[in-house]
Amino acid sequence: MRLPTLSLTAAVALAASLGWTGGAAAETAIADPAAPVQYSGTLKVLTKFGTQRLQPYFVGIAKAYEAAHPGVTVELIQEDDDSVKGKTKTLVASNAIPDVFFSWTGTWGGNFVRGKRAVDLTPVIGPDTDWGKTLASAAVGSFVYNGKYYGIPLYLDAKFMGYNKTIFSKVGVEVPKDLDGLLAACDKIKAAGYTPIAIGNKEPWVAVHYLGQLLAYDVPKDALEKDFDPATATYDDPGYVAALGQFRQIADRCTVGADMNGIAYQAALQDLSDGKAAMYYQEIIEFDNSANGSTKLKPEEFGFFRLPAPAGAKGDPNALEGAPEGYMISTASANVPLALDFMKFVTTPENGKVLSAPPYGQPSAVIGGADPATMNPAVVGGLEDLAKASYLMQWLDTVNHPKVAAAWLSSLQAFAGGTMAADDVMAAVRTAAQAAK
Amino acid sequence: MAANPPLTSKGAAARGTRSSGAVLRRLWALRWIAIAIGIVGWFVYYPIVNNFLVSRTNQDIFTGEVTNVGLDNYRRLASDPVIWTALKNNSLYAVLSIIFQVFAAFWLAAIIEGLKSERWRSIWRAVYFIPSAISTTVTGLLFYFIYQPNIGILDGLLTEFGLAHLSRVWLGDPTTAIYAIIAMSQWQGFGYSTLLFSVAIQKIPQELYDAARMDGAGPFRQLISITLPLTREMTGMMIIVTVTGAFQVFNEVMVMTAGGPNNSTQVLGTWLYEQGFTQNDMGYAAAVGSLIFGITMLCGVAQLWYTRRRRVLA
Repeated sequence: MRLPTLSLTAAVALAASLGWTGGAAAETAIADPAAPVQYSGTLKVLTKFGTQRLQPYFVGIAKAYEAAHPGVTVELIQEDDDSVKGKTKTLVASNAIPDVFFSWTGTWGGNFVRGKRAVDLTPVIGPDTDWGKTLASAAVGSFVYNGKYYGIPLYLDAKFMGYNKTIFSKVGVEVPKDLDGLLAACDKIKAAGYTPIAIGNKEPWVAVHYLGQLLAYDVPKDALEKDFDPATATYDDPGYVAALGQFRQIADRCTVGADMNGIAYQAALQDLSDGKAAMYYQEIIEFDNSANGSTKLKPEEFGFFRLPAPAGAKGDPNALEGAPEGYMISTASANVPLALDFMKFVTTPENGKVLSAPPYGQPSAVIGGADPATMNPAVVGGLEDLAKASYLMQWLDTVNHPKVAAAWLSSLQAFAGGTMAADDVMAAVRTAAQAAK
Repeated sequence: MAANPPLTSKGAAARGTRSSGAVLRRLWALRWIAIAIGIVGWFVYYPIVNNFLVSRTNQDIFTGEVTNVGLDNYRRLASDPVIWTALKNNSLYAVLSIIFQVFAAFWLAAIIEGLKSERWRSIWRAVYFIPSAISTTVTGLLFYFIYQPNIGILDGLLTEFGLAHLSRVWLGDPTTAIYAIIAMSQWQGFGYSTLLFSVAIQKIPQELYDAARMDGAGPFRQLISITLPLTREMTGMMIIVTVTGAFQVFNEVMVMTAGGPNNSTQVLGTWLYEQGFTQNDMGYAAAVGSLIFGITMLCGVAQLWYTRRRRVLA
C-alpha cells in the first residue's frame, strides 16, 4: 500500500499557507497572576507521554482535574518521543497549537518564544512567585529566554550508563574511572561472552546522545555554546574530532559496531533487561524500564555511572548530558488562566510523587515531589548525581538549529556504520550551520 | 427542399429569448455540480497552485515570516545530493516493481489460471492476496524483525544453509537497506497485481485456447500468442500505475528506516516530509512536492494517452 504522496504535498501546502496567513498573527502574551480562572470549556494538552507505560499518568491527571472542575474537559493529545516533534510543528504551522504543549529546553523551546507562541510566565513562575518556589530553580531556569520564564518543568533528566551488577561481578570488572577503563572493561566482558554495551542506532539520536556527552568532555563550554548559535557557529574546535574518535573506540570495542544501525533502541534496552548485555546508555527516565519486577534484570542488580571521561580532555569532565523537560502555554489559548491552573494541579507535590515513582519513574521537578521511599533507588541516585554536575549539556538534536541537528543525526549514523570519516562528519555539520545562518 | 421562412425581427427576438433562456437553464443546472466543483477545486486544485506559491518562498513556521525567494528552492533541488539519491531510489523502486508486480505477477496469474481445479485456483489467489490485506505498518514491523541482525529469520536461514557469510545488517547497511525495503514492498504488492492479472486472463474467451490446442499449440505457445497479447492493455496500465506508485512511495520507507542510514533510503516523499516537518523548511518541501507532482503528472498523462489510444485501436 502506498500513501498518496500528493496528499503529503497538499498537507505541506496547506500547513504552510495556514502558517502564512496566521503565523504573523501571534502576539506576545504575559501571564496575569490576578486573572480569575473560568472553570469551563475544553483544555487541549499535547504531551510526550504517548507510550503504553507513561500514557496513564496524564489520563489520571485529566480525570482528577475534570472531577474537581465538572465544567472542564481535558482533551489529551499524547505523542511519543519521536512523533511529538512532527506533530508539534504541524500544529504550529496550522495555527492549531494546543493550550498546553510539551517542550524541550534549548533551541526547541526557543522557537516558540521567537515566534511568540509561548506565554511569558515570569509573573507566575519566576523565582519570587509562589508557584516558582515549589519547583527546582535550576529546572525553571532552563526555560529562561531573554531573561524571561516560559516553561513549566515537569521532570529532570540526564544520561547515564546503566549496568548489570551481576555481570560486572561475575566477569570481575569495577565501575570504570575513565574512558580507557571502560574500554578495558568491555574487552573483559566481551571475552566472557556478553555484549558489553547494547546499542540500537536505528533511531539516529542514540549515537548523537553518546557524542553529546563526549563533546561536553572534549570541547570547552564556551566553544560549544558559541557553536549552538548558527550566527556564531564555526565548529572548528579540535575536540569535535577527538570526541568522534572516542565514540569510534566505544563502538568498536564495546558494541556490535556498524550493526547498531539496524537495531532499534528498544531492542537494545531489552538486551540489558534480559541479562544479555552488561550495559546500556540511558536516561534516568528509562531506569524503571530497564529493571523492574517483570524483567530478568532485577532493580537490585541495576547500577549506573556516568559515561567515563577521557583522560586529559579539554572540556569539562564534570559536565553531564541532560536537561529538564516541561510544558508551555500557547499564546493562542482562549483560556490561559485555566491552562495555568491545570499545570499547577499537575505540579502539586502529590502528583509529583506519583510521577517519580514506578511505573512512571520520571523524577519530578517539584520540590518535595520526589519521595525516595516510593521511588526506585537508582532514580534517586541519578537525581543526586545530576545535582552534582557542573554543567548540563543539552541534547544535541534539540539544542541545535533543525538543519544542524539533521546533519549531526544523519552524518553520525553514517560514521557509526563506517561509511563516513570524522572530518567528513564535521564538514557536513559546518555546511549545515552555514545554511542555517 | 423547403426554404426557411424569412426571419422577422419578432421571430429573431423570440429565438434569441429562447436561446438565452436555454443558456440560463443550463447555467442554472450547473448549480447541482457547483458544490462538487467547489470541493474538488478547494481540496485538489487549490493545494497544487498554493504548493507552487509556497515553493517560491522561505517560511518560518514559528514566526510566520515569509520571504519570497523566486526559484531558489528549485535551484537547490538540482544541487541537493539527497534529491538525486531519492530519485535513484524511486527509479529503482519503479524498475523492480515492474519486474515483480507486473511481469512476475502476470506469469504467476497465468499459472494459477491454467490450473484445472477451480478450488485450487481460488485457494492460490487467496494465498497470494493475503499480504496485500495487511497494513504497511504491520508489514514494516514484521520485516524489521525478519531483517534483525543475528536474531532475525533471514540471517537464521542463511546460517542454516551455510551462507552465514552473506549475513549483514540489512536495514543498517546503506548498500542493502533500500533493497530490503523494496523486497518487503514486492512481497506485499505482488498478490494484488496477480489478482488483477487473473481477472484479465479470465476475460479471455476459452474458445481461443481450444482452437490453439487443436492447432497443436502447447501451454507456452498459448501464453505467448493468446494470453500475453490479450492482456496487453492490463499490462500497460499496470506498468503506468506501478511507476506512478513508485514515485509516491512513503509509508514503507518511513516505517522501516525513516530515510536512514545517512539518507541512503530517502525517497522523494520522505525527503519532502523531512524538509517540511523536521527541518522546518516548508518552502523547499513544497519545491520537492512540485517535483513529485511533475513526475506523477507525466505518468498520469501517459496513462490517459495509453487508455485513449487503446480505445481508438479497439
